[in-house]
Amino acid sequence: MVERKDVTVLEPPVLRIEHIWKSFGKVQALKDVSFEVYKGDVLALLGDNGAGKSTLIKIISGNYRADKGKIYLNNQPVSFGSPAEARHAGIETVYQQSPVCLNASVTANFFIGRELCNGLPGIKFLKKRAMRQETEKAMADIGVHIPSVKEKVGLLSGGERQALILGRFFHWGGKIALLDEPFAALGVGEARKSLKLIQHMGQQMRLPIILITHNVEYAFEIATRFVVLRHGEMVGEGKIADVKVDDVVAMITGAIHVRDTN
Amino acid sequence: MTENSGKSVAVLREGKLSIKGNRKAVLRWILDHMVWFILFFVLVVLSCSIRGFAQWGIFRNILYHAVFVGVLAIGEAICIISKEMDLSVESVAGLAAIMTAWLTGTGLDASGILLNGYLALLVVLAMGAIIGAFNAILVVNYKISSFIVTLAGYLMFRALALVVTNGHGVTRLRPEVVMVARTKLFSIPLMVVLLLFIYIAFYIFVTQTRFGQHIYLVGDSREASYNAGIRIGRVLFGVFMLSGMLAGLTGWLLAARTNGAAPNIGMGMLFEAMAAVVIGGVSLQGGVGNLAGVLAGAILLSTIATAVSLLGMPPFYMNVIRGGFIIIAVLLDALVQRIRPYLM
Ligand SMILES: Nc1ncnc2c1ncn2[C@@H]1O[C@H](COP(=O)(O)OP(=O)(O)OP(=O)(O)O)[C@@H](O)[C@H]1O
Ligand SMILES: [Mg+2]
Repeated sequence: MVERKDVTVLEPPVLRIEHIWKSFGKVQALKDVSFEVYKGDVLALLGDNGAGKSTLIKIISGNYRADKGKIYLNNQPVSFGSPAEARHAGIETVYQQSPVCLNASVTANFFIGRELCNGLPGIKFLKKRAMRQETEKAMADIGVHIPSVKEKVGLLSGGERQALILGRFFHWGGKIALLDEPFAALGVGEARKSLKLIQHMGQQMRLPIILITHNVEYAFEIATRFVVLRHGEMVGEGKIADVKVDDVVAMITGAIHVRDTN
Repeated sequence: MTENSGKSVAVLREGKLSIKGNRKAVLRWILDHMVWFILFFVLVVLSCSIRGFAQWGIFRNILYHAVFVGVLAIGEAICIISKEMDLSVESVAGLAAIMTAWLTGTGLDASGILLNGYLALLVVLAMGAIIGAFNAILVVNYKISSFIVTLAGYLMFRALALVVTNGHGVTRLRPEVVMVARTKLFSIPLMVVLLLFIYIAFYIFVTQTRFGQHIYLVGDSREASYNAGIRIGRVLFGVFMLSGMLAGLTGWLLAARTNGAAPNIGMGMLFEAMAAVVIGGVSLQGGVGNLAGVLAGAILLSTIATAVSLLGMPPFYMNVIRGGFIIIAVLLDALVQRIRPYLM
């Protein structure tokens, strides 16, 4: 386990992964990867193409099983057989094309499967107004302005849709969100908004987020910590505040190997 | 701004809404209820061009003839909103009509049971529910496409009824059945009142209840619904059972109208119901549709039929016009979808 001097409160990490190994046939996608994510962390998971970032995310979210290694959620060992199990436990990958009901309203998507109802025996009537107000409040809390929560989600921009999905996830007790290249399909303006949103959620609201991005500049803007993978190995880890962009780029490309220099 | 009229003050109090925004809301509302405007337009044109069209008797007739397709179309609409398909409704309605006639018929061609008409209604509703559950089992548990499952049902169920009656129809039913078709309330046929009542009930059901909402969400994105923990199978069971029950009810109403049931009763209604659904703005993509539009679609089809027969045109013209209306409706819908984002 890596020492963490910046953590003063004796809170357990929200997510701890220990000695994760994974291979696909002859390809060793992950070799002995370990790190922790605490409340208030936005962890940037960096690395070149094929470094193993997505594989790691998919192991955490229950898509793949690790060959070796352990995952702890709030200090409890967990092992997910499917994304549904991981989601149930409060871990979810939020990506650009996360499925939403495009023809249904923002409110309907926000409350999907959790609708507020008047409990009549047999027929449950929706409390539409209460749901609208709660959606408006939740979206305002995370700093997203959506024209109208009555509008259908299909008319929202990519960034707004992402905001809705993220906001919904944390509103309903999500513990940690995994974002795999959330800016990939966004224009510059939308990406800016999305950055602000993730920063707000991660730093002000202290919601743990793991963020994969190829854009090191973005990572430096909003992440608090970073992990660099190279050919499946962890070649760097630390606080964003402690490093320079060039150093991290060097780790990604292989010019520096932090563990070697230790 | 003391010179403001009460109305604009109210508008300002709403917040960001400007008068202009209000006008957009009106436009949006018009676009969302396009079918009703088309229906109104067609009625006006026909009233102006056909002598004697614009009278209560004709309108009453149009509404009366819209009842059967209208009720059947509700079930079809719910199925299509959930992104399934029910091709069996027509045959289930035919089976229900023949069963109703056979159970309540007073002549020698019936069963001789002389079952009370309302009990017969319960029987055909239960039968519709069972057939719906059967369809749902094949779709949900055996993962067969609903198109195929209900195509088989379309072929099977009417024939099943004819097995019971040995291939012939039944006439002369018990009076309480026939009465439903002949009663008027303040010159409005009871059937029409029933139609409106059923539409209002189902409109409230799909727009105001959790189950109704889930029908839309499941039709919109199975994946998002599954992720959210909605039990999709259960929703589909409900959808197919409702569709079956509405088909059963349609059959009972058909038997009441004709005071009996010929072997081919209600034949061709599947396509009319489907047309009403599509003209009404329900999308085959799933997750989109408004029952009010479907009612307008059913009335529009009945209007066309009435006009064609009033004009003494050969009946095959009817399908030319119906087909034309389907194309127009779908094109208009595509146009509306393009304009709507600008009216936010
Ligand atoms: N399902 C799979 N079957 C076989 N090999 C795989 C599979 N998934 C990933 N790999 C391999 O594992 C390695 C790591 O892949 P991964 O997708 O995790 O990389 P990545 O860091 O996400 O890269 P990128 O930045 O390009 O998305 C690659 O060599 C890849 O080819
Ligand atoms: Mg990847």
